[in-house]
Amino acid sequence: MATPLPTPSSFSVKDAWKPLPKGAWNEVHAAHLLRRIGFAATPELVQSALQTNVETTISKAFRDAEPLVKSKALSEFAATANENYRAIYRDLKTQEEKRDRRNELRKEDNKLFREYGMSWFRHARKQRNSATEKLVLFLQDVFVVDRRTIQDTPSLFNMQQILREGLGMKYDDLCKWVSREPAMIRYLDLDKNTARKPNENFARELFELFTLGEGNYTETDIKEAARAFTGYRARNRYEFYFQRKLHDTDRKTVFNETGNWDGDDIIDITFRQPAAKTYLIKELFKFYLTEETVHREYVEELGNMWANHDFELSYLVNTFFGSQLFYHPAFQGNLVKSPVHFYLGLCQDLRLDVVPFESRLLRSMDVMGQSFYNPPNVQGWLYGEYWINSTTISARRQLVDYLFTALNEEKLNGNDQKSLKIARNEGRGDFLVTQDRLTQLTSLEPSEIATHLTKYLITAPSRPTYKPVLQNLLRSSDSLDNSIRYAIIALLQSPAYNLC
Amino acid sequence: MNELPLTRREFIRRSSGGGLGFLAFSGVAPSFLAKSALAQTPGPERDRTILVVIQLAGGNDGLNTVVPHTDDNYFNLRPKLAIRKGLLPINEDLGFNPACRKLHQLFNEGQLSIIQNVGYPNPNRSHFRSTEIWETASSSENVQREGWLGRYFDNACSGSPDEDADPTAVHLSDMIPQSYLSEKSHSLFGMKSSGRFDRGTDPADLAYEKLLQAEHIEGNASYLQHTMMNTLVTERRVEKIISRYKPMARYPGNKLAQSLRRVAALIHADMETRVYYVSQGGYDTHSGQLSRHTRLLAELSGAMQAFQQDLVAHKKDDQVMTMTFSEFGRRPSENGSAGTDHGTAAPLFVMGSKVNGGLMGSAPDLNIGENKDLKFSTDFRSVYSSVLDRWFDADSSSILGEKFDHLPFV
Repeated sequence: MATPLPTPSSFSVKDAWKPLPKGAWNEVHAAHLLRRIGFAATPELVQSALQTNVETTISKAFRDAEPLVKSKALSEFAATANENYRAIYRDLKTQEEKRDRRNELRKEDNKLFREYGMSWFRHARKQRNSATEKLVLFLQDVFVVDRRTIQDTPSLFNMQQILREGLGMKYDDLCKWVSREPAMIRYLDLDKNTARKPNENFARELFELFTLGEGNYTETDIKEAARAFTGYRARNRYEFYFQRKLHDTDRKTVFNETGNWDGDDIIDITFRQPAAKTYLIKELFKFYLTEETVHREYVEELGNMWANHDFELSYLVNTFFGSQLFYHPAFQGNLVKSPVHFYLGLCQDLRLDVVPFESRLLRSMDVMGQSFYNPPNVQGWLYGEYWINSTTISARRQLVDYLFTALNEEKLNGNDQKSLKIARNEGRGDFLVTQDRLTQLTSLEPSEIATHLTKYLITAPSRPTYKPVLQNLLRSSDSLDNSIRYAIIALLQSPAYNLC
Repeated sequence: MNELPLTRREFIRRSSGGGLGFLAFSGVAPSFLAKSALAQTPGPERDRTILVVIQLAGGNDGLNTVVPHTDDNYFNLRPKLAIRKGLLPINEDLGFNPACRKLHQLFNEGQLSIIQNVGYPNPNRSHFRSTEIWETASSSENVQREGWLGRYFDNACSGSPDEDADPTAVHLSDMIPQSYLSEKSHSLFGMKSSGRFDRGTDPADLAYEKLLQAEHIEGNASYLQHTMMNTLVTERRVEKIISRYKPMARYPGNKLAQSLRRVAALIHADMETRVYYVSQGGYDTHSGQLSRHTRLLAELSGAMQAFQQDLVAHKKDDQVMTMTFSEFGRRPSENGSAGTDHGTAAPLFVMGSKVNGGLMGSAPDLNIGENKDLKFSTDFRSVYSSVLDRWFDADSSSILGEKFDHLPFV
């Protein structure tokens, strides 16, 4: 039986957000934290976590993160993109010429987008960046912008960058920054929002998806708020610009507060609504802990604490991951890994570099259902059980098979051979699991191997039933080399490894 | 149907008490796969209608498929690429590309209708975007995620797939076609066009199967176990059906024909699946078009005819309608490298014994000048609405968002 969710009567609301007591910090809790805050609980990470305490482990997970570097090619493209696009309309005469030039630029942008995707995976693969990038993914699922709509790589890069920087901000400030991001301005039609013809798209999502949640505002609030966000524009493609002429300077009444508000005022007013204390926390629960609804008293308690700390995101994150509630048994081993988590977790668990082939990596993400920067709609990905169907399960299994199949370099196409060469020059070369890696384990007894594998690859609740099966599997073949290989492949494809 | 649980999670929770989820919990007999395969008898509605969609990926050149050989403009626009000889008569003005001999036979037998000049307003010439428009039945301006068939599934089926039933839709590609994307979850199944896919007795697979049978705790572990077992069961069931299938027509060896052979096998086995999706690639003929396009059309033609003959011989033809689509046609003017660039409207085919054959819609106007594009005369959503309303007995306006005129092919 799975452990039931905590309720205020079984688990005190007062204790829920207190730090996990020192004595309770053990291997199971450390692994739980590491798999949720990042992508894997490797033996090294677990060991070093156990040598310190929960607070240090959390702060260390974020402390050493590096910035994601904007590639030279992307910077150069961004520097000339505005002029290049304008020149199409200014200088070219025929429809055909315009079309051809647009296609050229689009092609270049597509190439840069794929490179950006690859560089993000490599960046997030590094353990020191994992927690930060996972939190960025979380925010990207709140402040959704997708590639399908915004076919402009520099804007998408900048949008992600502001979310990364936002981790050190107060959440209301981050909302203000986001409302100034050209990608968001275009995605939610702020650039079509004028005093004479208001567009409510942004105002609605600000309330519904960024801050309050459905049911916590009226249609009038949206209409009035939309008027305050008039005049938000992008200039020179990548800069925010407030166009005063288009701004509605009349009085607006939002949540019963009347004044000559602008967008920032609206965000300030929004954060005085009770729902602003709890909305993001509920999302945090869904992303990091459970798809089921957690008792509202826990959420409200943390919401009050967070509001008292001025909506500082770092306070929220540290309190959340360090709390007693976070380690409740009901939350252990029961969250479906997202495709990004599954993939990067495999790389970290198997000590592999991200494969250098765009066609392989990005396509694999498509088939598993989480295309880079392309969530299905404005709500973002739904996470949890929604990741799983027969097609995506097969894709996950095939990915594991691929990682255990030798690379046939001669069969690679020209692009892939080039990518392989570049990767090797940069010191990355371990893309696939070779047999000699596995032979390290052959000196152990089957029961020891089973203990080792279950300890580091799957969560505590599945270990008791998996261990005996693995042990039998390891004994069943005449060659331990082979049986280790089959057992690991099967384990990585199993239900337990798909959970964290 | 609305008594069924609304989410999969609920499905599993409920099935723990009842007899629904035969695979969900521990104590699964070792021979669970064999037993469950037997347990899956065909559903009660044996005569349900089935749709097979063939995607011609890359943008099929409509003008060289159905050739307007009495129009001087055609020859002026295509000094190198115009097809002058061996055309197969459709009417006085039009002829099939000689490579379409078998489609021509089907047409003469009244089993094929040609819908001319199909497209949509404000055409987009990006492969990706235009494919998306066709698959989601959206207008050129609106980006939509859910596909037209996915919305049909949402409309026709309850959102929680009965995990023990056959898949609602099958695709022969590694990715779920966007046409199938839906709001609710439905059971979809993907497979390749050739080769085993259940991986048989690979020791790693046997190990996987053993682990699947370990006891899993309630919640997501059990949900995953359930889905994975179900996928395995379907894979094996499908593998068995395909390997034992005796087609009554000769299918060529190419990928499209082999895909359709598999579809025929599943239809013959009375799977409850309503929609199949197969794809033929390579139509993006920017250069050296003549020989490539000839090969593609011959493959398409041969594969479609073999499939139809097979269905007729197995007496399944009354149940099945097959339609083609391509993201766009190609530019009427040929380019400098004996090829054609991305264009707009093109004809599509609908095949079946219940199809009213013949030529439908109006031919494109070629009096457009150098390097201009065709203006469509039939909206592709009219084709969809005819299929949805008349073949599936569904409500096309709630699926497509508005009413489109029907075409008389069904």
